[in-house]
Amino acid sequence: MEFINSHILSITTFVPLLTAIAVLLSPALSIARWVSMGGSIVAFLASLHIWFYFDAQTAGLQFTEMHEWIPSFGIRYIMGVDGLNLLLIMLTTFLTPLILLSVWHLDDKKQKAFLSLFMTLECGMLGSLVAFDLVFFYVFWEAMLIPMYFIIGLWGGKNRIYATTKFIIYTFVGSLLMLAAMIVLYVLHFQQTGVYTTNLLDLYGTSAEYSTQMWLFAAFALAFAIKVPMFPFHTWLPDAHTEAPTSGSVILAGVLLKLGTYGLVRFAIPLFPQATATFAPVMVALGVIGIIYGALTAWMQKDAKKMVAYSSVSHLGFVVIGSVAVISGGAALSAEALTGAVYQQINHGISTGALFFLVGCIYDRRHTRMLADFGGIAKVMPWFAVMLIVATLSSVGLPGTGGFVGEFLILLGTFLSSPLAGATAALGVLLGAVYMLTLCRKILFGPLENEENKTLEDLTPREFAYLTPLAILAVVMGVFPNLFLDKVRPSIENLANNFRNYKIVAEAPLESNQLLGADHKEMGH
Amino acid sequence: MNFNIPSLTAEFYLTTSPVLILCFGALVAMLAGVSRRLGGELVIYSVLLLSLVGALAAAVAASPGVETAYLSGSYLAGVLSRFGQVLILLVSLIVTLLFKATFLRDRFFRGEIASLFLMVITGMLITVASEDLVTLFVGLELSSIGLYALVGYLNPSRRSQEGAIKYFVLGSFAAALLLFGFALLYVSTGSLRLTEVSQAVPKLLGHNWVKLGVVFSLAGISFKLALAPFHLWAPDAYESAPTGLTALMATTVKAMVIILAARFFAGSLASVYEVWLPALMFVAAISMILGNIMALVQSSLKRMLAYSSIAHSGYMAIAICASSANSGSLPVAAVLYYLVGYTIVSLGAFSILMWLENKDNDNLLLDDISGLSKTHPWAAFGLAVCMFSFAGMPPTVGFIGKFFVFNSALINHLTGLVLIGVIGSSISLFYYLRVIVRMYMADPIQLPTQLAPKPSLLVAVVIGATVIANLALGTVLPEAAMKWMVETSKEVAAAPGSAEDSQSVSH
Repeated sequence: MEFINSHILSITTFVPLLTAIAVLLSPALSIARWVSMGGSIVAFLASLHIWFYFDAQTAGLQFTEMHEWIPSFGIRYIMGVDGLNLLLIMLTTFLTPLILLSVWHLDDKKQKAFLSLFMTLECGMLGSLVAFDLVFFYVFWEAMLIPMYFIIGLWGGKNRIYATTKFIIYTFVGSLLMLAAMIVLYVLHFQQTGVYTTNLLDLYGTSAEYSTQMWLFAAFALAFAIKVPMFPFHTWLPDAHTEAPTSGSVILAGVLLKLGTYGLVRFAIPLFPQATATFAPVMVALGVIGIIYGALTAWMQKDAKKMVAYSSVSHLGFVVIGSVAVISGGAALSAEALTGAVYQQINHGISTGALFFLVGCIYDRRHTRMLADFGGIAKVMPWFAVMLIVATLSSVGLPGTGGFVGEFLILLGTFLSSPLAGATAALGVLLGAVYMLTLCRKILFGPLENEENKTLEDLTPREFAYLTPLAILAVVMGVFPNLFLDKVRPSIENLANNFRNYKIVAEAPLESNQLLGADHKEMGH
Repeated sequence: MNFNIPSLTAEFYLTTSPVLILCFGALVAMLAGVSRRLGGELVIYSVLLLSLVGALAAAVAASPGVETAYLSGSYLAGVLSRFGQVLILLVSLIVTLLFKATFLRDRFFRGEIASLFLMVITGMLITVASEDLVTLFVGLELSSIGLYALVGYLNPSRRSQEGAIKYFVLGSFAAALLLFGFALLYVSTGSLRLTEVSQAVPKLLGHNWVKLGVVFSLAGISFKLALAPFHLWAPDAYESAPTGLTALMATTVKAMVIILAARFFAGSLASVYEVWLPALMFVAAISMILGNIMALVQSSLKRMLAYSSIAHSGYMAIAICASSANSGSLPVAAVLYYLVGYTIVSLGAFSILMWLENKDNDNLLLDDISGLSKTHPWAAFGLAVCMFSFAGMPPTVGFIGKFFVFNSALINHLTGLVLIGVIGSSISLFYYLRVIVRMYMADPIQLPTQLAPKPSLLVAVVIGATVIANLALGTVLPEAAMKWMVETSKEVAAAPGSAEDSQSVSH
C-alpha cells in the first residue's frame, strides 16, 4: 500500500504505455482488445485511488514523486496532483475505456496499431497533466503529438493528411517557442539563485523584468492558445475534427484541447503574473471573440461534426475567459470564474465527447453527417434521441446539467471584472442554445422523409454501454457540483488569491531534496 | 619554433597505434589486391574488419587519461581524441559491415578500394587527434582526397563521376582556403601549434593578417562542414555517392570537422571570439534557413538528407558560437551530444536506404518509399523513428540534443540564433513528415524494380541498435552520456591555459 501510494501517479501514467507495448505484442486482435481495455481500466482504477485518497482540505501538491533524470541540468522526474489537474486526470482515464469500447467492433488489419497508439496517447496526456518539471512536461506534451498524428492520418477521412499535418505543425511551432522560453526562464532562475532547475515549484518564484516577462508569457501563451485553440489560432481544429475518426475527435475534444487551458492556468498565468495582468484584456477579448465567432460559424454548418467542432471553439472561449478574467485589471477578484473554468473543462469533455460519439453513431449507420440527410430520426431511434438531447442540453448549459454550473460561475466571475465581456459572453450562451437546438431539431424532428432513415437501427447495447456513463455524469455534475468542486476549491482559491506570489507547497520529501542538484539518488520515497 | 627530434618511445607507438594499424591495413589490402589468389572478397573483407577492429581496440585501450602531445602537437592523445577516434572507427566498422550486404559488395571489397577506404579513415583519425596546423591539413586532405576518389570509383556510373568531380573541385577550393588561412596564421604568429597560436593571437589582433587567417580558416572549415553558403557541393556529392559513402560523409566527416572546429574555435581562438563569432553566427543562421527550405522541395531522399544535414550543421554551429564567451565546457559538451545523436540517427536512416536499394535503383525517391509501411513495415518504422528524431521530437535523442544546444546558446545570450533554430526546426518538421506521410498514408506505387525484400540479419541488427540507442539517449541515458561529454570536452575548454603543461609533456 505504501508503494502504491507513493507511486500512484507513475502507475497511472505508465500503465497505458506498458499496455501499448503489450497490445503490439499480442498475437491476435481479439486479445489486443482485451489487453487494451484491461490496461485502460487499471489506469482508471488507479486514478480512482487518487480521487478517494485525495485530501480536499489542502491546496498543496499531493502524491508527489521525484526522481533525478538529468541532474547535471537540474531536470527531474516530478509528478504531483492538486485541484487543478485532479479532475482532468479523472476525465482522461474515464474517457479512454469508453472510447476503446466504441471501437470494439472495428477489425481492419491496422486496428492493433490503433489500440497501441491510443494507449500511448493516454500516457502522453496523463504525463503532461501530472508533470511538475518543465522539461519533463515538455517531453510528454510533444510526444503526445506523434500518436495523435497517426490516429488522424491513418484512420481519418478524405482530407486526413492535410488535416493531420496542419494539426502537428501548428502545435509543434507553438511548442518550440515555448521550449525556448522555458530555457530562458531556467537561465533567469539560475542568475537569481545560482541553482539550475526546471522544477516548476521553484520556478514560480522567479522574477523577470517586465519586458522579458512579456516575451516569455507570449511564447507560453501562444503554445497553449494554439492547443486550446483560441481565436485566431483555431483553424487547425475544424479540419482535424472533421477528418479524425470518431474516437480521435472524442479524445481531441475531451482531453487534448483541455491541455491548452490547463497549461494557461498551470504555467503561463502563475509564472508570469505581471504579464498576465497586462495581457488579460487581450486574452479575454480573444476569448469572447472566439465564443461569438465559434457560435456563429457553428450555426452555419451543414455538417453535424463540423458544427460540434466549432461549438468547441465557442465553449473553450468560456474556459479561457474564466481562467483569465479573475486577473484582468491587475487584481485578483474572485475565484468563481476560475472554478467555473476548471469545472467547464470537464463538462465540455463529457458533453462534447458524447456529441461526437452520437454523430459517430449515425455516421456509422448512414455514412453521412450532413444535417440535410436526416430528420425525424427520433421516431426510429428513440434512445438515440434521448441521448442526443441529454448531451445537447448539457452542452448548452441547461440548469440541472454540469454545463450550467460551469458557465454560470464563469459568467459571474467575468461580469464582476468586466461587465462588457460578461454580457457579450452571455450572448454566446444564447447563440449556443440556438445552434445546438438547431442540430437536435434537424436530426431528430420534422418529417421522416428519407427512405434510408426509416430502417435505422436504434442504439446497440455496446453503444448504450459507452453513452450511458456520459449521460449520467452530465446530470450528476449538474445536480451535485459540490461532489467535484469541494475537492478542487482550495487549489483554485490559492491560485486566484495569490497569483502574484503563487506557491504550491508539496509534500515533505520533495522540498527537502530541492537543492541537491547533482545527487544521483532516487528521491521522493 | 623549435625542431625537436621526437622521442619515438614504445609509449608513442602505443598511443598512435590506431593510426598505425589502419596504415598497415591499407598497405596489406593494397598488396593483397594485386595478387590474384589473395585478392578475393573474403580476404579483403577480413583485412578491413581486422584493421578496423584492431584500431578500435587500440583507440579504446591506448589513450591516456591526461591530454598528451607528441611530435610538437602533431599528435594529441587524450579523451577528446579518443572520443573522436572511437566514434569514427565504430561508424566505419558499421559501414563496412553494411557494404557486405549491398549490391556493391563485389566492388567494395577489392584491394584498391579497401585501401583507399582505410586511408580515408586514417586521415580522419589524424585530424581529430592533432593540434598542428600542417598535420591537421594533411589529415583533412588525406580523408577528403580518398573520398573524392571513392565516390567516383566505387560505382563508376556517369552520375557518380559527375558528383565526384564536383566534390573534388569544390573540395579542393575549400582546401585552398583553409591552407591559406593556416598560412596566414603561421605568418603572423610564427607557430603552427594551435596552443601557441592561441597565446599569440590576442596580442596581434591589430594585424589584419591574423583576422584574415581566422576568417579564411573559418571559411575552409565551413566548407568541410557543408555550412551555407559553402554548402553547394553537399547535395550533389550526397546524391551521387553510393549510399554507404554518403553515410560516411554525413557521420564521420561531420564528426571529424566538428571536433576540429571545437578545438579551433571553442578551444584555441575562444579568447578572440569577436573576430570569428559574427561570421560563424551568420553562417549558422544561413545554414539553418537555407538547408531547411531547400530540403522542402527535394524528391530524392538522399538529396533531402543532404540539405537536412546542412541545417543540422547549422544547429551544431550554434553551440560552437555559444562556446565563445567564458562558458566553460558546456557548449562543447552539447555539440558533442548533438553530434553523437545525429550520427546515430543518420546511420539508422542511411542503413535503411542501403537495405532497400538495388543495382537499378540506388537513389531512392519519395515515390519509391510510397506505402513502405505495407511492404516493409520494419523499414518504415525505423525510418519514421529517424525522421521524428531528426525533427527533434521527444522522446528521441534529437530532442535532448536540441535542448542541450539551445540551452547552451541561451545561457550565452544567443537568443536570435535560437529563434532562427526554432523557425528552422518548424520548417524541417514539414519535410520529415512528408517521408512519414508517404510511407504510412499512401499506397505503394508500381515500381519498375522492386525494393529489396528482407534485410540480412546484420542490417536488421544495425538498424535495431540505432533505434534503441536513439530512444535510450532520448529517455534514460541523457545524464550518463552528458556527463561523459562534459568530461570529454573539458580538454577543449582548458586548452589555452594548459599550453605549457602539454608542451612539457611532449619532449
